[in-house]
Amino acid sequence: MIIPVRCFSCGKPIGHLWEPYNEKLKKGEDGKKVMDKLGLERFCCRAIFLGHVDLIDIAAQYKKF
Amino acid sequence: MNVKLLDSSKEKMELRIGESSPAYVNALRRYMAFEVPTMAIEDVEFRSNNSILYDEMVGHRLGLVPLKTDLKSYNLKNECKCKGAGCAQCELKLTLKGSGPKMIYSSDLKSKDPKIKPVYPQIPIVKLLDGQDIAFEAIAVLGTGKEHAKWSPGLIYYRHVPTVKINKQPANSEEVVSRCPRNCFEVKAKKLSVKDNDACILCNDCVEFTNGDIEVGTANDFFMTVESWGQLSPSDIMIKGVEVFNAQLTDFKKLLADVKE
Repeated sequence: MIIPVRCFSCGKPIGHLWEPYNEKLKKGEDGKKVMDKLGLERFCCRAIFLGHVDLIDIAAQYKKF
Repeated sequence: MNVKLLDSSKEKMELRIGESSPAYVNALRRYMAFEVPTMAIEDVEFRSNNSILYDEMVGHRLGLVPLKTDLKSYNLKNECKCKGAGCAQCELKLTLKGSGPKMIYSSDLKSKDPKIKPVYPQIPIVKLLDGQDIAFEAIAVLGTGKEHAKWSPGLIYYRHVPTVKINKQPANSEEVVSRCPRNCFEVKAKKLSVKDNDACILCNDCVEFTNGDIEVGTANDFFMTVESWGQLSPSDIMIKGVEVFNAQLTDFKKLLADVKE
């Protein structure tokens, strides 16, 4: 849906890194290097970035109930 | 016991605590992670919210946003002079008002106290489409990690300092070097020696491979890392953790004195 504010496992705040991460990926940078640069060193935080699909743009068009 | 600072930055601090015990180091860890107070949003009152996320979801996300904490001007609610009723010394109001189409970020939160604001301004809270809007008042309070992880000041962890000992030169020392996943060994003039003792993760592969010619174990020393989530600096977390520990021990001492009578 939307990037979690914090890592589920370790609690590190990661929400603010999602947009810079995607911008750098779009420029063609290597995902591993981008995550290293952003300070995502544990695999728990990295897994959230690798597995996340931003669906809020699609979901927001529908009514919630 | 001795303490040595190995590495220190804005977010992370690493110490080497020598001649201690796991019980003692773990007590320090627990006090730092679960007893050091930080500021976080606790109550949210929505005026309007027709975004795709439910009020509860937005509220939960807001709670997890780390807020820069000033421990000198705020008290824990149950220790405050107002006795938990809520006053300027224990509560802080934050407001947010926004309408789409745009992303609402943590920087859009308007705080009554300029010192207490989100540590990271770019945390997405909710995305609003055209015609959607959100408005709420939130109350941030001091709390501790034992009640909810959102109040935890950071991640604190420790590990034993390993000891790698070569009792007898093994027959195939070159292979010992290449097998070690942490590159702890080196061969110089056909002699196997320990290059990086501290990197060892006690996988025991070299011990099994050489049938005990090499021995790995642990010392009574520890590497302790304090990683801050931004509300407080790593050194503040350590100092405050010890202060809280000290205060609780003083209280306990008083109780013991009463028991004697």
